[in-house]
Amino acid sequence: MDSSSTRHSNSKKRKKNATTTNTNQKTLGVAWGSKSFSASSSSSRKSPFSDFGSYMAHKNSKLHNQFDSEASASSSRKTIFSGVSIFVDGFTVPSSQELRGYMLKYGGRFENYFSRHCVTHIICSNLPDSKVKNIRTFSAGLPVVKPTWILDSVAANRLLSWVPYQLEQLASNQPKLSAFFTLKSSKMSEDTFTNALCQVEPDYEDSFPRVGQPKDRHPSEAGEMVEVSRLIGNESNDIASEKPDVIEDPISERVICDEEKLAEANSSETNNERNTEGGLDPTFQEPSTSVSIPFSDNQNAHQFPSSEATGSSKQCHSTLTDPNFVENYFKSSRLHFIGTWRHRYRKRFPNLSTGLNDGISNINASDIKSVIIHVDMDCFFVSVVIRNHPELLDKPVAVCHSNNSKGTSEISSANYPARSYGIRAGMFVRDAKALCPHLVTFPYNFEAYEEVADQFYSILHQHCNKVQAVSCDEAFLEFTDAEVEDPELLASSIRKEIYETTRCTSSAGIGGNMLMARIATRTAKPNGQYYITRERVDDHLNQLPIDVLPGIGYVLQEKLKKQNVHTCGQLQMISKTSLQKDYGMKTGEMLWNYSRGIDYRSVGIIQECKSIGADVNWGVRFKDMKDCEHFLINLCKEVSLRLECSGVQGRTFTLKIKKRRKNADEPAKFMGCGDCENLSHSVTIPLATGNVEILQRIVKQLLGCFYIDVKEIRGIGLHVSRLENADTSKQEKYTLKSWLTSGSASVEKLKYQMGHNKHNLDCTNSASSHGSFHSQGSSFQMDNKIPNIQVSGDPISAPPPLCHLDVEVIRNLPSEVFSELNEVYGGKLIDFIAKGKDRCESSRSHGNSFLEHDAAYNQEELPYSDPIPRNKLFPENKAMQHERVPGTGHGSYSKDTPNSKFERDDLLPSSLSQVDASVLQQMPEDLKAVIVEHLPAHRGKDFSSTPDICPSRINQDSQGVNPSKNCPGIVNHALNNSLWAGNPPSWVDKFKDSSCLRKLGEIYHRSGFSSQLSSVLPQFISEFHQLDLIHEIYDETVNMMCELLRQYVKVKIERDIEEIYICFRLLKRFAAKSQFFFRVYNDIFPFLQAAVDDNYGGSLSMPS
Amino acid sequence: MTYAREAHPCPKFEASVTMQRKENQTPQGKAASVLVEFLEVAITAIVFLKGFYPSGAFERRRYMNLVVQKARQPQLRYYIHASASGLLPFLLKGMVDRVAVIFFNSDNVPLEKFVFRFAVNLSYRSAVEEADLEISLRSFLSKLLVSESLTKKLTPDCRWEITCFFRSLPETGASKEANLWIPTEDTKQWEQPPLITPIRSMSSDPLFLQLYIEHPSLSASSVL
Repeated sequence: MDSSSTRHSNSKKRKKNATTTNTNQKTLGVAWGSKSFSASSSSSRKSPFSDFGSYMAHKNSKLHNQFDSEASASSSRKTIFSGVSIFVDGFTVPSSQELRGYMLKYGGRFENYFSRHCVTHIICSNLPDSKVKNIRTFSAGLPVVKPTWILDSVAANRLLSWVPYQLEQLASNQPKLSAFFTLKSSKMSEDTFTNALCQVEPDYEDSFPRVGQPKDRHPSEAGEMVEVSRLIGNESNDIASEKPDVIEDPISERVICDEEKLAEANSSETNNERNTEGGLDPTFQEPSTSVSIPFSDNQNAHQFPSSEATGSSKQCHSTLTDPNFVENYFKSSRLHFIGTWRHRYRKRFPNLSTGLNDGISNINASDIKSVIIHVDMDCFFVSVVIRNHPELLDKPVAVCHSNNSKGTSEISSANYPARSYGIRAGMFVRDAKALCPHLVTFPYNFEAYEEVADQFYSILHQHCNKVQAVSCDEAFLEFTDAEVEDPELLASSIRKEIYETTRCTSSAGIGGNMLMARIATRTAKPNGQYYITRERVDDHLNQLPIDVLPGIGYVLQEKLKKQNVHTCGQLQMISKTSLQKDYGMKTGEMLWNYSRGIDYRSVGIIQECKSIGADVNWGVRFKDMKDCEHFLINLCKEVSLRLECSGVQGRTFTLKIKKRRKNADEPAKFMGCGDCENLSHSVTIPLATGNVEILQRIVKQLLGCFYIDVKEIRGIGLHVSRLENADTSKQEKYTLKSWLTSGSASVEKLKYQMGHNKHNLDCTNSASSHGSFHSQGSSFQMDNKIPNIQVSGDPISAPPPLCHLDVEVIRNLPSEVFSELNEVYGGKLIDFIAKGKDRCESSRSHGNSFLEHDAAYNQEELPYSDPIPRNKLFPENKAMQHERVPGTGHGSYSKDTPNSKFERDDLLPSSLSQVDASVLQQMPEDLKAVIVEHLPAHRGKDFSSTPDICPSRINQDSQGVNPSKNCPGIVNHALNNSLWAGNPPSWVDKFKDSSCLRKLGEIYHRSGFSSQLSSVLPQFISEFHQLDLIHEIYDETVNMMCELLRQYVKVKIERDIEEIYICFRLLKRFAAKSQFFFRVYNDIFPFLQAAVDDNYGGSLSMPS
Repeated sequence: MTYAREAHPCPKFEASVTMQRKENQTPQGKAASVLVEFLEVAITAIVFLKGFYPSGAFERRRYMNLVVQKARQPQLRYYIHASASGLLPFLLKGMVDRVAVIFFNSDNVPLEKFVFRFAVNLSYRSAVEEADLEISLRSFLSKLLVSESLTKKLTPDCRWEITCFFRSLPETGASKEANLWIPTEDTKQWEQPPLITPIRSMSSDPLFLQLYIEHPSLSASSVL
């Protein structure tokens, strides 16, 4: 055939194909429409389209027309998928073409090219790691669903919720539980919905779109509601697309209410979040902000100019010597105290936030006049310490870490007498002593601070229901004019009470807004109060230096000074527009407002932290990478702890490093950071986390980005930002965890999928147990139907003795299951329940036997005739197994993951013999490996890799039956003498004695016995490599290995030459490196070739 | 005993070879009919892989959700199709040992053989899991599609044919189909045992299938 003509006609045809009816080819080469450059380059060359974009637009419209015409041709009335438009990504079963067919037939749409606007669901079976990591970019927030969703929907003849079909890769952390049991999750969301509603109410002034239409919530207006919920659903999807339970699927009639609520609940959550994240009070001290108040070290009187640092406990001063450096560091850090104080405060006054919000909601801020009182303790850190030393009241006193007269630590706080000597916070003690020789220094007393702060706040809360805490010693109170006749009187009574209770003085500033109140406090100090009435605002501000205004820092101040602006009065003369031009919109407006005493902030809005983190800038010295990593691990723990305390998780992680500047000398302050460059790297991940292990991984990665010599590091900080509320995103996870750890009783229930004791469980958990319930029910039925099929007549399928039953479980069984079970036990069950409250322990064996029952059943039906059965379940059997698998598989999953938390014995069966092989088989590989690894090897004998050949269901605990007798799969095998007979193969046992080859057995064991030798060999080689050097190679070892391989060849030669080929290619490669394998290979190779020749009439080609 | 299909089929085959999938309801029958279909694809893939014909002679199709080639030239397509489906009755009887796609040089000396080795478990009685079978076959096929590097370059002026190795003599006259297979006597054989390069082995009850390439061993090729 003339090739050129062929090609020509072919390309012609192809072009035609692209525009006519044959769509088979179209999706093949194109993954993501607009990115597919190859498609563009080949077609646009000849095409009349001006550019790729118009070509694609044209193509898409043609495809749509095509689809429409085909759809109308198929003339099916069914519209299951109306409104659904899928995009199929990558390889799926069934194929994208079949899915397209379904969509054609049932009124859906099928997009050939991804578009955020047309596509509603992305269908795929598997995602590459990069897409999972960047799921937002990939999916644009759309649901990513498995193709079975479509099949099941077609089978059910209605649109099912896609949630249970979400891709596991994405849903792996928690949604599985909730998603699996839609019923429950919707119920739960209903709760959150109502909760959220209450919380949202007060925020109505904010222009959130939903808020204007409170009526929409009435179910009567269903149509409109759908509209709204869709809108909101979309919106919340945009904002919080990571939240897997966002549902936006207004089409499905059945679940519509739930979904609506879900969507609303979600949107209100987001709303909350947004509000709280809204404006950050500039005065608020985030735990993470580096505060530039230097302070001192309490042991060593050296000096340091660090911006944030503290001393550490006793002798351990640097990361070099103290293994718990990080922990100790923060224990004695004042800034840490301030930073974490907020959480303690929140916990102590938990009712505040809601109460406050209620208050606010009734007030239209601009209309009702209110008065703000700013209360601030006078030099809190000093006065708390000296309240028990009245004689020091008038003496200069300072607080610092170290009392050492060498004076190399820093003053962190000084009282007014001391300040009059010119002593300021941040000064070295040495210098301070020079100014004031009789200065008395005290160390911190954190317990006292906490105590006083608590007293302080309880007083404030008694007087006012709108308190905004700024710090442990500083707060704003808001009163309406109606409430208070004379604010000055009120302020003085509060101050008096504070003094009487705490024996510390405080000052109060009173003003029309927070800004003025704060400015007033400045005048009031110390131990006084000042009221800036509305009339006095202008006077007061006129001469006020600009740096007093919040939000004006050093840089801004310098800039303004250059413009010759020193006071607020001068600032007032500059127009708003020019301020905004020079300093940006926001800052400009702020300056303009503040200089006129205008402040719109209102008291009581709880500030959420924007970031949480920890810095250590003192005592950081690393010898090598190991030190550094160890330090980072601890830092991660600390940060993770803080995240947990605040109940948030973050997505962006920033690692900050202080690197010693070149030529910088050792800092004046002992172990200080000295002159440093500040470096930072950050990374953002798609799913918020607070998990310490993930943190550690990320941090390690980040550290790698610096390319820094660890010896140069003088300070490290880790900050987490883009915080999300952990409660909303991780609710299930948390409860599950707490559930798991809450007590051994409930733990037992979980692991055997029998957790029916609902008393302390939330709906998620009950949902999960509900699921396992069914699986259990089905196994019961099986048992009942076939109690006597057992060939050997052994009693496995008989119900477990009464004493082994868990009362709790039985009691919670659904009534029909219970009555059935009761029959089985001849009615004894009722009595049993009545008396047996104290027998919960036995639930374990009970659960075990259930599992074993149905597996035993499966196994009995299997054909033993077949030596290598793979998929030998009868259809009906299979169906049952399917039914069972989600429950059991799931249970075993939970079984495994938290196993560090409690005793393994509790959770895992005591040996592999008790593992249901069929369940194990269904588990993901990694999970399988972990389980196998955790089970005692020596008892793994009767464990089978193929679920049916060797039933592993022997109930040793309750039946006391010798396992081997129940393994019909093994018994009659001709290969009895072979090393590869049995499961695990007998060589695993035999090789135990060999120091070298035992390893192979272990690795093979770890792989779950299911793998072929070729998959195990590489790992063995890598581990063997060390052994090779240490141990002498005995002939015996070589012989054993040869024999093993020889028999493997025998087993495999007939049916799997590929496996043998791979093994020997590997061996040959290893032979070049290892003496041992060289000998083995040379010994065995002739045999191999002979075997191949026998079977295939040739020799294996072994290219080097 | 080997039989070969002639590479240039005559039109008379067209009427005689028909697929009879409906009637084969035993597990073996089901597996065999899947296998026959699969063979057709695999053989086409081999021919395509070897670059025997210009790539324009093939068009892309989807089979088991994989992109494969299909011959566009009717005769070629028919030859492969008829050869594969002609195996069906023999497969069911378990008579087929191997099917080879053999490439010859101009002297009729085989240069390369792609050998499919079958085993059908005739005693298997359970239902065939088509999904499992399909997964196995797909992995088989995907390995085949990337095996070009294992093959040798074609010499100019070569030809190819499909040869079947039977375990026993087909009863001539038993069916029309059996007559379509011609005993091969004139093919030159290698004097030395060939070198075998396995490509893929799979076992999915009741079907066992292996594919490997045979090349003349170095000494043998020098002899010929």
